[in-house]
Amino acid sequence: MPALREVQESFRAALLGGDAVAALGLIAGDDAARAMGFGVYRNNVAASLTDVVAATFPAVRRLVGEGFFAYAANEFIAAHPPRQACLAEYGADFAGFLAAFPPCRDLPYLPDVAQLEWLVNVAAVAPDAPRAAPQDLAAVSAEDAPRIVFALNPALGYLESPFPVERIWRENRTCDGGAVRLDEGGVRLEIGRGGDGIFVRALGAGAFAFRDSLASGADLESAVAQALAAEPGFDPGSALADLFRDGAVAAVIPPSPTQGRNP
Amino acid sequence: MRETIHGNAAGAGIGLRAPHVAEIARARPAAAWLEVHAENYFGGGPGPARLMDLRRDYAVSLHGVGLSLGTAEGLDDGHLRRLAELSARLAPCFVSEHLSWSVANGVYLNDLLPLPYTEEALDVVTRNVAHAQDILGRRILVENPSRYLAFAHSTLTEPEFLAALVRCTGCGILCDVNNVFITCANLGLDADAYLAALPPEAVGEIHLAGHSRVERDGHFLLIDDHASPVAPAVWALYRRALVRFGNVPTLIEWDKDLPALDVLLGEARQAARILDGENDARAA
Repeated sequence: MPALREVQESFRAALLGGDAVAALGLIAGDDAARAMGFGVYRNNVAASLTDVVAATFPAVRRLVGEGFFAYAANEFIAAHPPRQACLAEYGADFAGFLAAFPPCRDLPYLPDVAQLEWLVNVAAVAPDAPRAAPQDLAAVSAEDAPRIVFALNPALGYLESPFPVERIWRENRTCDGGAVRLDEGGVRLEIGRGGDGIFVRALGAGAFAFRDSLASGADLESAVAQALAAEPGFDPGSALADLFRDGAVAAVIPPSPTQGRNP
Repeated sequence: MRETIHGNAAGAGIGLRAPHVAEIARARPAAAWLEVHAENYFGGGPGPARLMDLRRDYAVSLHGVGLSLGTAEGLDDGHLRRLAELSARLAPCFVSEHLSWSVANGVYLNDLLPLPYTEEALDVVTRNVAHAQDILGRRILVENPSRYLAFAHSTLTEPEFLAALVRCTGCGILCDVNNVFITCANLGLDADAYLAALPPEAVGEIHLAGHSRVERDGHFLLIDDHASPVAPAVWALYRRALVRFGNVPTLIEWDKDLPALDVLLGEARQAARILDGENDARAA
């Protein structure tokens, strides 16, 4: 008698497009009944996961057309099947998959549109977070200030692209969009969730570098350095005030006492 | 009059689906109770907040679809913890999951896949249900799935398996009457014998939904698509189920080709009339 683990492994492989001989061999009944019954599950898995990807990436779907999207989604699902049951959180790898997907190589902007849609999805489903106040900085000594790290609100995401992906996304989200010239300029975007729902907005070079660095876990000093490199006129004081004003900071994390600085 | 603050479900309720939320929040229709898919409320934002608001006026049942109680490798504790956190916040009238699996080797397949009904599978599901109940701090209801195939090496029937699971874990049963009808039609089983083999005192909730029929090369299958009204033959089986199980809280599920809210509430009213009739019959 096959162990349950083997049964499930046979089905997993067959349901994701692999060889179904082992799975079919476990099923009772004649060949036609086996194939028909198994086919219901295979179709359910493929159709439901394709629907999940399509729901998260509607602009990509509109840009490439329904037929090609179904093909690309199917390849994506086989290569990067979901690792968690909360499917609103499925699709983090789709932009990277499209960037390496040979049939898409003539659409260089497509991965960035996908990444924008992914960040919009993250903003929609991210957990609610507390909102830190500037007063929380008072507990940090001036000496420790450069090494402060901020936990940003988990709904926030940052995307820089050489293509006008925000316009492409807006034009292709719901209805037949207007034309967008690919050479009309790149974008630096912040995506998040506010009182009025999801927002996507452009940031200046300095503010983008500052916030993007902080979101990646950089400390205050290196985020400021990144921002100054991107925009020499960057004003750290007002950027920090803006960060708190926007409710972007969930927690101020002072450096731990043991984490000494290299001389 | 609403008296559901205590969170007890009775009568007929509806599955709460996103396109109906605004209308229900505004009109507060006389549905006895609501059921939601747990995984839709794992994140933050306005969805969970709206649900907590509805919870003040309705008993709410938490129906999981992603825990994968039948997975040989054991439960995903991260998923279980999120379910427990939501359950603690929502204080639902029921927490339910399925007698099925959807995770193998860490991959989530997003379907309620069938189990072979063996002693080994019973051990696996018993362990997983017991662990889930430990972390949730409460009893769960386990639902019979709709099935399109049977395993050649099964040694127990599905109702025998469920009855043994109840004995081993103290869990309850969510009897999906539409699924009983579908599974029995697809696998050539007797639906009344199926119902007769379930322990009646363990049945804590009933589901009803629509199904469709596909045919190929002389073979047919009933498909559990939740895309239409409850079929007349399922209403008839539901009446017979109530005779056996008593006045069990009943839920109408509708997931695809969602109708206007009134149509869904009409299905719930139909279930409520049958429930009331069963009350009268017992009183007489």
